[in-house]
Amino acid sequence: MYKGIAASRGIGIGSICRLIEHDLSFEAKIVSDTAAEKERFRKAIDSFVEDTNAMADEIRKNIGPKEAEILLGHAVMISDPAMSGEMFKMIEGGQCAEAALTAVCDMFIGMFSQMPDEMMRQRASDISDVKVSVLKKLLGVEDIDISKVPKGTVLVCKDLTPSMTSQIVKETVAGIITEVGGKTSHSAILARALEIPAVLSVPGIVDAVKDKDTAIIDGTEGDVYINPEGDVLAQYIIKREEFIRKQAELKTFFGKETLTADGDKLEIYCNIGTPKDAKKAMECDGEGVGLFRSEFLYMDNTHLPTEEEQFEAYKEAVETMQGKTVIIRTLDIGGDKDIPYMDFEKEENPFLGFRAVRYCVANLDTFKVQLRAITRASAYGKVKIMVPLVTTVDEVRTVKKLVAEIKDELKAEGIAFDSDIEVGCMMETAAASLIADLLAKEADFFSIGTNDLTGYTMAVDRGNAKVAYLYSAFQPAVLRSIRQIIAAGKEAGIPVGMCGEAAADPLMIPLLMSFGLDEYSVNPVLVLTARCIISKWTKAEADALADKVMAMDTEEEIVAALKAAAKE
Amino acid sequence: MVSQNITIKNEQGMHMRPASLLSQMAAKYDSSIKIMFSGKEIDCKSLMFLMAAGMKCGSEIELVCDGADEAAALAEITAFIESGMGD
Repeated sequence: MYKGIAASRGIGIGSICRLIEHDLSFEAKIVSDTAAEKERFRKAIDSFVEDTNAMADEIRKNIGPKEAEILLGHAVMISDPAMSGEMFKMIEGGQCAEAALTAVCDMFIGMFSQMPDEMMRQRASDISDVKVSVLKKLLGVEDIDISKVPKGTVLVCKDLTPSMTSQIVKETVAGIITEVGGKTSHSAILARALEIPAVLSVPGIVDAVKDKDTAIIDGTEGDVYINPEGDVLAQYIIKREEFIRKQAELKTFFGKETLTADGDKLEIYCNIGTPKDAKKAMECDGEGVGLFRSEFLYMDNTHLPTEEEQFEAYKEAVETMQGKTVIIRTLDIGGDKDIPYMDFEKEENPFLGFRAVRYCVANLDTFKVQLRAITRASAYGKVKIMVPLVTTVDEVRTVKKLVAEIKDELKAEGIAFDSDIEVGCMMETAAASLIADLLAKEADFFSIGTNDLTGYTMAVDRGNAKVAYLYSAFQPAVLRSIRQIIAAGKEAGIPVGMCGEAAADPLMIPLLMSFGLDEYSVNPVLVLTARCIISKWTKAEADALADKVMAMDTEEEIVAALKAAAKE
Repeated sequence: MVSQNITIKNEQGMHMRPASLLSQMAAKYDSSIKIMFSGKEIDCKSLMFLMAAGMKCGSEIELVCDGADEAAALAEITAFIESGMGD
């Protein structure tokens, strides 16, 4: 078995077709019939430009205009007087077309690869692409036509170039294996868009296989098998069927409401980190944003983000969500992060220290800038403010008072905002859980952050391998805490959501349904999975399971019981 | 011969797209069209030379047109560069 980077999910089984790089060496010679040589070169360029334009058309249709522009640039480059113009001059002087092409291209490659600007350095690889393509035309070397490979082909190559990817037909290519590239490489993005399983960065794979070898690609795990034993093959054929069936099932949940098996309506929101992620949330059919982390504005910055900078970022996310709820979490950092322009002191225990809302209520000038920006963004959709690391009622009161002041200011300044903007608590400390009934009287909503709630409740650092076994949201203490928070919210009549990883855990979902959780905020790619699981449970079934596991006294027992009851 | 001093305004400088548009615009004219920049003379009709010169946002250049249609060329290209070259 070979291991690589799992770049595009799914199981692919098929027959290998290697895309090998050709030998493009040539012997430079002096030509006497320069007219004929120029004609030969002219034909090669024309053919290259024709191919390139056709490929650009395909890419524009299948991928997008921006990707097509890169290829169109190649055609413009070769037609440039400094490129083909110079080459023709050299041929006139007696050089062969291959030598003229190589000399001029290499001159520019050298020039561009030394430029200080990263964008300009990338042009060197474009020129190199042009050189290789035209050289193939001159040498009469034909690449395999990827668009014509038989059904069930697994492509194996060093790297997929944009020109190769543009020829891939979804129906015939069963999988892709390359020697280079990562999760965000061009090949990975394309493979995911076409839903073709892909494993990238498998060292030496091109030389390790032959054409027509059988290959299994597990693009979910990053595993590759070449000429597998019969039982492995049989096992993966079943896995493939399961994956396809599951994907097809999940797709039926797209654009649907989130309903329990009884028909009760719940909501699946998304966790996002930047305004761009909001687009992802929409594409994945999220019903809102349950956690918009605002830290990116502070982390990747050289100065305290201004009100305008923040406002623009929040507004972008809010507008993208088209009226769906966006819960923005206020600044959640402390001494664990090194932000040069903010004077967090080094602390012995930064996670128990001066951070999040504690920093904010002590630095009202900084905090007010953020709250003003969020409140202004509320004019463009449905915005809620979420306060992290709450441990006392006073903290919530302080934030609410500040928001009330900001509303008065904005009103006086004639700036639009939603006067009903809600302020809620992120429930992630043992203290907040224990006074959930008191907080529920002040807060407009709760959102349970299970990651920190688990850490603070179990008094465990998940990064410490010696105690990490205690870090589980299925610990009886954590489950009791979650149940209590939801119950307190229900009692006070405020909505309760969850924005930790547990909200998307198939084992946790029935318990949360039983406890009465309203909104599940998950990674965008898990929206349909969560919706699918919720659809399989009735309240009565979930209650019966919850009653059973809440009486158990160890995490192992609870997880085992939940696994046994799980519905796939 | 006519000439004009101009400052490059677009944020990314003379990258692929502006250079491509500029060279196509210059190619329409019969006049010779050159940019003088940091001691070099750059042929505006060549996308490759335009990109390779490394003109950045804020670079001071001199546009020089010479030929029958030099006045029209100078006017159009100056306006194009000053407008940010479509960026």
